[in-house]
Amino acid sequence: MSREKLRRLGLDLPLLPTTSVGSFPKPDELQQARTRWARGLLSRDELERLERRATEFWIRTQEELGIDVLVDGEQYRGDMVTYFAENMRGFEIGGLVRSYGNRYYRKPIIVSEVRWERPITVSWWRFAQSLTTRPVKGMLTGPYTVMDWCFNEYYPDRRATCLALAREIRKEVEALIEAGARIIQIDEPALSVRPQELPLAREALQIVTDGLPAYFISHACYGAFEKIYPHMLALPVDNFDLEMSNSNLDLLEHFKRVPFTKDLSFGVVDVHSHVIEDVETVVARIRQGLEVVPAEALWIDPDCGLKTRTVEEAIAKLRVIVEAVSRVRAALA
Amino acid sequence: MNLIVTNAGSYPRIGDTPELQILRQTLARFDRQEATEADIRRAEDEMVRRAIAEQIEAGLDLVTDGQIRWYDPISHIAGRLKGTKINGLLRYFDTNFYFRQPILVDRLARERPILVEEYRYACSVSARPVKPVLTGPYTLAVFSLVECAEYRDLERRVEAYAVALAEEIADLAAAGAELIQVDEPAIVLDDADWDLFAAGVRALARAKGTARLALYISFGDVSPFYERLQALPVDVLGLDFTYSPQLVERIAIEGSAKALGLGLIDGRNTKLEPEAEVAAALERMLPAIRSEVVYVNPSTGLELLPRDRAFRKLQHLVRIATRFKR
Repeated sequence: MSREKLRRLGLDLPLLPTTSVGSFPKPDELQQARTRWARGLLSRDELERLERRATEFWIRTQEELGIDVLVDGEQYRGDMVTYFAENMRGFEIGGLVRSYGNRYYRKPIIVSEVRWERPITVSWWRFAQSLTTRPVKGMLTGPYTVMDWCFNEYYPDRRATCLALAREIRKEVEALIEAGARIIQIDEPALSVRPQELPLAREALQIVTDGLPAYFISHACYGAFEKIYPHMLALPVDNFDLEMSNSNLDLLEHFKRVPFTKDLSFGVVDVHSHVIEDVETVVARIRQGLEVVPAEALWIDPDCGLKTRTVEEAIAKLRVIVEAVSRVRAALA
Repeated sequence: MNLIVTNAGSYPRIGDTPELQILRQTLARFDRQEATEADIRRAEDEMVRRAIAEQIEAGLDLVTDGQIRWYDPISHIAGRLKGTKINGLLRYFDTNFYFRQPILVDRLARERPILVEEYRYACSVSARPVKPVLTGPYTLAVFSLVECAEYRDLERRVEAYAVALAEEIADLAAAGAELIQVDEPAIVLDDADWDLFAAGVRALARAKGTARLALYISFGDVSPFYERLQALPVDVLGLDFTYSPQLVERIAIEGSAKALGLGLIDGRNTKLEPEAEVAAALERMLPAIRSEVVYVNPSTGLELLPRDRAFRKLQHLVRIATRFKR
């Protein structure tokens, strides 16, 4: 059914489309430039020039590797929630909060009504899409995750916060579609943390996507899916992009008991490991995926964003994916 | 009734100015082999001093060391016991904070005190009494992986951690701690394990000597087992009110035979609660609490807030509590 939707949108993708979850590592040059910019030693224009150069590098790299559905690599983002908080009204960027060990991030604070004022990701999407004829995904963070990852001083409760965000994030989706994006990914990594709030996440995503002409993907990670499966299938998206490989494909057992009824972007390489998987390992994983999801409905990608790997590791992991997919396609043909 | 304003555990170890980032920088330098363990220790000492100074400046009567030296609430304790090794990261309840999961690989044993040195240091730099905080046996057991046949049953794991922690409690009491806080948040996940959890608490209570024991529970609704908590042999019950909308009324009606640690102020959100609401809750509950002292504290440790906001939360708490003192 989703194949039909893709065709209606003018997208003719091969069997087992290959894609990426979103982020790629920033080249050293850009990493250093960001530090210099943060210290006031580099202009915003110069930083943006380097962000464009890095985006171009990743588009070329994905094309050369033979990836089917591309991403811009998020070279211009720090954090997936803070980026949107910085570009919408109603947020203040708070002080540092520890996430683990010696790692800290700036957690945004919602201090007034949240408002989308102008397109946030559209110019980056346009730029990336102008460099290639292959489809580039529009990439957003979903309302439930933005709500869960911000402090809230304005709205009365989590529900009100989440729904207000949904109404504003919808405007970004509309702007992406107007610019020409046909595949839009709405990341909801916080989805499985409070299973009792799944109906809220669903209601919010409904607000974001309702009636809009695009193929919607939602990426979720950090495990605990056993708690929200199969209820998560009620979310109004066409494709779930799930981290499968760092949990030994345990989720497939759940899909054997209750069929997975959407398209699945199946994570076949672990993004937290330096080790580059063998092609044989990845082929075997894809075959296991095919046991529970029909080939027509299966997409292949890494578990999560590759930004924590080195540039070389990220490319090597993508290369293994493309190679494994081409072997499986040949066998299916 | 004597009202004591305290901290529920952690305090931020970083701030926005360079002098508040020395611990982060020293740890990063250590990773590049440009700093020694002694350098880390000095940076930790400095941040403990600052955490205590800020708690006192905010007006707390009873402080903690801010758990500045803790990698996380689980591995700081479990990782210092013999018989464990430390595994990958796992989300800590419904927060965005991650802890390192311990694996039980061999018989658990406490070879030396875990927190006593840290407690002594905190006392030496504090003008106010210090409350040591440790994570309880049930929570450590629930979050441990097992690679050792002996501990396959949760019950055996709880017992083994309880033996080790009872020794720690005895040593902390001997070092002069008058009130020792034990955090057992994991019981909110599944109170079907109540008997195991309670056995762990009883084992610690037997070791406390002249010290008083405070059992703190956060990250979930304590209402389903409020009555059973009252029956445990501890001196203070610390309760997180942010998950329990009915709890204020319940305590107002049923009362409390034990001293309570009232976590009315949300330690996880920057918003300052309306003073009138918090004061109204205190007015409802205080007459029903039949103990000589009552503690008021944030609902959780404050490390989940930015430093300036953590400080403001404590000031806010002190401001409200002061109206009820004496």
